[in-house]
Amino acid sequence: MKKRLYLELENCIGCRSCLAACTQCGGHEERNRNYVYDVNPLVNRQTMPLMCLHCVNPACARSCPAQAIQIHETGAVLSALVEKCIGCQNCTIACPYGIPKFDTEQNLMYKCDLCIDRTKDGIPPMCASVCPTNTLQWLTDEEIENKKQHNLDNGKWVTSMPYLEGETNVKISLPGILQGVTKLF
Amino acid sequence: MPQTAIIKQKKERSINNAFASHYAKSMFLTVSALILLSFIGTRMFTHIDLNLYGYMVGTIVFIGGFFYRFIAWGERPPTKIFIKKGLKLLFRPTTAKTSVDHLAIYNFIWNRGIYRWTQHILIGWGCILSCFVTFPLVFGWMYFTMEENGYYTVVALGMNILHVKADGVLAFFFYNALNFTAVMVIIGVCMALYRRLKNMQARAEQKFMYDFLPLYLLLLVAITGLLLTFMNIFLHGQGQPIMSLIHQYAVIVTLIYLPFGKLAHIPFRPLSVFVKNYREHYAKRSMKECKVCSESFVSTEQSNDVREVLGTNDIHFDMEDGFNLAELCLPCRRKYRISRFSGIATHEIKVKETNQNAKG
Repeated sequence: MKKRLYLELENCIGCRSCLAACTQCGGHEERNRNYVYDVNPLVNRQTMPLMCLHCVNPACARSCPAQAIQIHETGAVLSALVEKCIGCQNCTIACPYGIPKFDTEQNLMYKCDLCIDRTKDGIPPMCASVCPTNTLQWLTDEEIENKKQHNLDNGKWVTSMPYLEGETNVKISLPGILQGVTKLF
Repeated sequence: MPQTAIIKQKKERSINNAFASHYAKSMFLTVSALILLSFIGTRMFTHIDLNLYGYMVGTIVFIGGFFYRFIAWGERPPTKIFIKKGLKLLFRPTTAKTSVDHLAIYNFIWNRGIYRWTQHILIGWGCILSCFVTFPLVFGWMYFTMEENGYYTVVALGMNILHVKADGVLAFFFYNALNFTAVMVIIGVCMALYRRLKNMQARAEQKFMYDFLPLYLLLLVAITGLLLTFMNIFLHGQGQPIMSLIHQYAVIVTLIYLPFGKLAHIPFRPLSVFVKNYREHYAKRSMKECKVCSESFVSTEQSNDVREVLGTNDIHFDMEDGFNLAELCLPCRRKYRISRFSGIATHEIKVKETNQNAKG
């Protein structure tokens, strides 16, 4: 059963377990590839994680002159192939979410590969497997369908239901905390 | 109307129209150049080493595949821009240094680890030096003659350039050059194989066909090559004719495979020199400032080029707020994304992003 990463953004408590777990994934060479942001830092403590959303038509791969960013059969947009990346940083400029990181010393881009050594065998990615608040979940399409949908089509809140700038393999939702909906875990 | 007629006429006279495609033209010019150089090098085809003619045919097939791959690759919009602009900037003063850094001593691999750098320099230079020896021999650009005075004459492109004592030091290095490079490649490949077996990072992602096959091919070439010397010296040439065919087969298969697998990074890597020039040159000319925080983050030229490339793919990131996502620096772009999710303008709050790097 094909599963995908599903984010319920407001569940995030800012513990940064996902960052720490990311460093421990095979092939990540102990550097994390995701972000956690304070939403309104001078006012409250709400945080939200931001990771690669694995676009169906990824701008990073389209802008790569060396074909270094490959798309896996599971839909994951992989990190740059180390022998191919020529260090032009086109991908960092193309990405609509500012995800790819660049190492100047190694002349190499690296980004979330959805822990491909795990997810290709159906094991959840490191970030989802450690998230203590169910912000990051690893679900089938059916399970995502069954999540209570919120009417978010008000121009203020945007999620990937249906789409962001383009279709993404990672799905994003808001459980409604910001909208004042009480959430029962 | 008359103007378009003139343009049309001029176009028809262009030499490019003599060829069906880019590919056909490049192939024609290269094979012609090879034949011409061999004609000169072999003193009008009088000194061809027919032992090596299999390699000659193999090389021409390789060039066919190589151009096919290279031209298909060069036609991709982002690649085309870098090749075009990189060629214009080729004569910058820093080109020589960047080329040595990227193509000869692999500085960036040193920064990825000394072990990987050592294996790469052994494999890379082992292969490059071998090519410097074998290709001139195959096409007759270089050959040796010997008169009955104990001296070899080295003939390069038809000219006698060197007399060396047949049992001298220099001659020893000439005879054994390929043995030395074979040992380099074998050590390098073994280091690479050991890393691929032991390193957990590598094991997570590697595939047999993509990562191991090229290593085994190089190992096969190097070992069968060394065996030739072994058979000559220790077995008095026994089995040598068969082994030379196996070696030839291994070399030709590796050559033909080269542009299509992992080894394709060899011909593609010089583009990184173009890219470095491009980034340095256009960064000096003008930098793009972030629409939100006004920090410069990329050259205006590259920003426009990327937008153009995405445009050809029909990807546009024009926001309802009246700007394009490419106008934001990366931290602001991430914060803007958060703001789109939450409805709070995170990117406009003047707090720097913190605590984003976990120590692994």
